[in-house]
Amino acid sequence: MSFNRKLLATAALIVILAILPLVVGRDDIINLMFMMFLSVTLAQSWNILGGYAGQVNLGHAAFFGVGTLVARYLWFSGTPIYVAMLVAGLVAVIFALIIGMPTFRLRGAYFAIGTLGVAETVRITVGNVLPIVTALPSNFIVNYDLNLRYYAALVLAVLTVLVTYWLVNSRTGLGIVAVREDEDAGEASGVSALKHKLIALAVSSFFAGVAGGLFAFYHVSYYYQFPFAPNWTFDALMITYIGGVGTLIGPVVGAFFYVTVREWLAVSIVDAHLFVFGAIFICVVLLLPGGLVEAWTKMQRVRLLSRLLRPTPPVKSVVKGRGEQT
Amino acid sequence: MLECEGIDVFYDDLQALWGVSLSVEAGEIVALIGSNGAGKTTILRTIAGLSKPAKGDIKFDGVSLSKKPAYDIVDLGIALVPEGRKLFGSMTVLENLELGAFTGRARGEKNATMKWVYEVFPLLEERRNQTAVTLSGGQQQMLAIGRALMSQPKLLLLDEPSLGLAPLVVQMIFDVIEQINQRGVSVLLVEQNAHAALERAARAYVVENGRVVGHDTGQNMLRHEHVKSAYLGGV
Repeated sequence: MSFNRKLLATAALIVILAILPLVVGRDDIINLMFMMFLSVTLAQSWNILGGYAGQVNLGHAAFFGVGTLVARYLWFSGTPIYVAMLVAGLVAVIFALIIGMPTFRLRGAYFAIGTLGVAETVRITVGNVLPIVTALPSNFIVNYDLNLRYYAALVLAVLTVLVTYWLVNSRTGLGIVAVREDEDAGEASGVSALKHKLIALAVSSFFAGVAGGLFAFYHVSYYYQFPFAPNWTFDALMITYIGGVGTLIGPVVGAFFYVTVREWLAVSIVDAHLFVFGAIFICVVLLLPGGLVEAWTKMQRVRLLSRLLRPTPPVKSVVKGRGEQT
Repeated sequence: MLECEGIDVFYDDLQALWGVSLSVEAGEIVALIGSNGAGKTTILRTIAGLSKPAKGDIKFDGVSLSKKPAYDIVDLGIALVPEGRKLFGSMTVLENLELGAFTGRARGEKNATMKWVYEVFPLLEERRNQTAVTLSGGQQQMLAIGRALMSQPKLLLLDEPSLGLAPLVVQMIFDVIEQINQRGVSVLLVEQNAHAALERAARAYVVENGRVVGHDTGQNMLRHEHVKSAYLGGV
């Protein structure tokens, strides 16, 4: 597909998603779509650091969780929710940079384990300090508008993808990928590895924090420590890998696939769906490291090849208006 | 132009270099010869800033490099072509070259430098939209050198540029090195192919067990008994 056709298809998809709540009167579908948009945001933000910068972060839930805490507190104290979400993102960035400075001294598996350790520490601390449920005040519940949450989630998901696109196509993005490909060669070419990792971390944690704000806006009640749970990290990670790690479209495709299949499996086989995803994840990593995006391009290549190998049809049978009449 | 004064370098507790001193003058080709593990690569890595000397100092045009990070050293005009090429594999040829001109000084001149690199390696222009991993070994070496040239170096550090290449390609790479040198770029060359290196080098250093044990002009080295028996196959 050419760039213009991709742009057109994307715009069409967004328009369809935008009018969906107006034609679909079912809350369960709107809720499902909300989860998809939230997952796109979480996965794409994970992908910036994990996919493009190559730093496998197992502490993403901590940024998401910090976002929920900040946004919930500000919103309940009277701050407009969109301001609260923005602040949630910024606080998540500050929190991430404080963690990032020491953990980026660790490379590879040590970085992954280090971030997981930090996130678990934060989760347990939040669970001990705030061992309670946070619930919307009654006047908030009366005015609860699901469609508003749907649109907020859609806008955030689109923004996350757009910013990722802009970032990875910038000079900074080139440096970020260089660090992933070869840290030494990057440094020897003039790319400060630490600086570029921190930029990727900042953008990644910002959207995770705003996504936390969205979560705080959406849920009526939850335990404060719930959004800090490691499954938020692993959902984002699996979505990214299943869709296609280090690609722009991967986390989007992955999120739609993952959330749909998860909901379907959760209904049919209840908790066993976790095993299924474990198996899918292992298969993808072993057999299809590029995820669904790679599967698609491979299929396209096979189709193209079979078209080339097919004997040329007689001239008369060529469809009119395709410019192929000779 | 470049002065290393008595540098000691460690990898954790393991000492790799002992009091290494050497110099490169403007416009020179200088060769480092020595066996595997002698410390030649470490010398280049330390000059480029990827390893740090525990003792001694490195000066480039009078500026001390020993505290500077690698990404600042490139901007001063030292470019490393690392052993094994170390390209950005999933990126295209063009992106690899663009990364070579990442620093402030080189970025403004990017298009002009790229024209020159394409003149030196026309093949890179043909393949500019191909990813680096799909190139052959010789083409990858060209790209590694091209990427280093994109930073507009005054001094080019070449680590085993002929490693694993077919003889014809090796000849071509050495010709290109001379061509680059004639443009006024100084070259510090580490090479297993000692004969080819010494023939082109104004001066050479012999490195053994992390120490510089000999220093002479390239021509004298070719006649030197110890160098002949140890590095030139006794011919």
